[in-house]
Amino acid sequence: MVRSVADRAFLPTKNLLEEVGDMMILTGKTISSALRPPYPYGGEFVSQFLFAIKLCWFPLLVSTVAFGFGAPGLQAANFLVIFGALDRLGGFFVLASIREFAPFVTAIVLAGVAGTAITADLGARKIREELDALQVLGVDPVKNLVVPRFLALMLVTGLFNIYALIFGVFGGILATLTNGAPLGPFWATFFTNASTTDLWGSVLKTTLFGAIIAIVCCYKGMTASGGAEGVGRAVNQAVVIAFLGVFAFNYVFTQTLLATHPEILVPR
Amino acid sequence: MSEDKMQADDATRVASVVDDRDDEFKWHTGKQLPTGVQDAIEFVDVHKAFGRNKILRGLNMGIPEDKISMILGPSGTGKSVCIKHMVGLLYPDQGDIIVHGKSVPMMHDDELFDMRKKFGVLFQDGALFGSMNLLDNVAFPLRQHTDKGEEEVMEIVNRRLAEVGLTNAGDKMPNELSGGMRKRAGFARALVLDPDIVLFDEPDSGLDPVRTALLCELIQEIHEENGGAYVVITHDIMSARRVAEHISVLWKGRIVESGPAEQLFNSDNAFVRQFLAGDSQGPLGME
Repeated sequence: MVRSVADRAFLPTKNLLEEVGDMMILTGKTISSALRPPYPYGGEFVSQFLFAIKLCWFPLLVSTVAFGFGAPGLQAANFLVIFGALDRLGGFFVLASIREFAPFVTAIVLAGVAGTAITADLGARKIREELDALQVLGVDPVKNLVVPRFLALMLVTGLFNIYALIFGVFGGILATLTNGAPLGPFWATFFTNASTTDLWGSVLKTTLFGAIIAIVCCYKGMTASGGAEGVGRAVNQAVVIAFLGVFAFNYVFTQTLLATHPEILVPR
Repeated sequence: MSEDKMQADDATRVASVVDDRDDEFKWHTGKQLPTGVQDAIEFVDVHKAFGRNKILRGLNMGIPEDKISMILGPSGTGKSVCIKHMVGLLYPDQGDIIVHGKSVPMMHDDELFDMRKKFGVLFQDGALFGSMNLLDNVAFPLRQHTDKGEEEVMEIVNRRLAEVGLTNAGDKMPNELSGGMRKRAGFARALVLDPDIVLFDEPDSGLDPVRTALLCELIQEIHEENGGAYVVITHDIMSARRVAEHISVLWKGRIVESGPAEQLFNSDNAFVRQFLAGDSQGPLGME
């Protein structure tokens, strides 16, 4: 009786910890498989890279412009206008767009569009026993399926971060123009506050977001069970876990970056 | 009621529970009648559970070399789980699986991938790769594991497809094929590397009786031609009568009896007799 109550109370936690552990193991296996020869995943890497670009470029464009214009753009501008400091919007965009929103929006779009497609694809293959068949045919699914998706998603997420930065800042430009202000002061404060640390920090962070999304989505796809319903469940769980992972990692990464580079904290 | 009487009642209840537990395996003699050949695969006291659901509960079983063996048993007794253990897709919680003298659970990943090249597996629905046509599906193991030129690969693939009656379907995608065709294509892919051991996971499921009979004939013909240890998992007694040379009857995660087919069909074990006769009367009920 006591045991069954304890099981019921702690089983979800135990399962969660087990899953996190399994994902860590998958990460280790993926990195070691990527580095160890042979390297049969070139073709699959290119096709996954192009697939992610094809799926994500438009949703990301719309999201970043809309988000940049709406949230840090118009709302921060409304606030800054009160103090007659609309020129500081450019400086705010370094913090808002480069450091936080561009990586976030990129991760959310990549997880929601490309990540779910990966989970659904691998989940369907798992249900149809294709993954078992691959293993039985002597093909390592980690090396042939996970590694190319992992590398492609990392690269694509890192590159898309720059794309998101550009369109996010474009949203800020639109907000400045909407307020009838000239763009010169916007750019002046933007470049005064921008630093290479912010840029590489942002790109590195987003690249690692891509790694988290790839591992979570591949893991959930490869462990899907219970037919079509199970694949749907796996996709749903993959998105939720990927978001949680990205948010948690973002906190750790950004705090570490700020602690190790305190100069970027100071508004100029 | 006196205290002595209550204690006696308790003792009777405990004894009956113990008896029930013993009764669970009372038909499991575990008898392994000699086949006269070495075992290609051995299960040694294998236990496997998924959560609280115990599937294999001390399985001891041998699959003889160079024979068509059938693992028969009611649904949910762990037959497919057995196949997955043989190729290292699942690992036992306890016990060992030995393939050609080597322990599968003890193998490193590289050894395991190498060992799997000995196997051909026909999965329940063929497990063809959805992104490839039939030719590429069947050619996949050859391209992956051999240095053969494309011309030679195509020659082997076409020969295998012809053997399973799919000569003109090479350019079709798996979703354009019927269930029977997918199974036959899966069979061609399983055989393409001339494996030492071929595993069939319910090859008759979803097929009509005539196609089941034809598939059984095909299994027999190809076994006669190539040899090797063939393992067929099925519930279908007709298929067993047609092709089995060795039978293992599995129930509740253990072997009830195993041995040469003709001896099993004449077994005096009530469970084996009932199951192989497909009789509703006997130890096996709906529970």
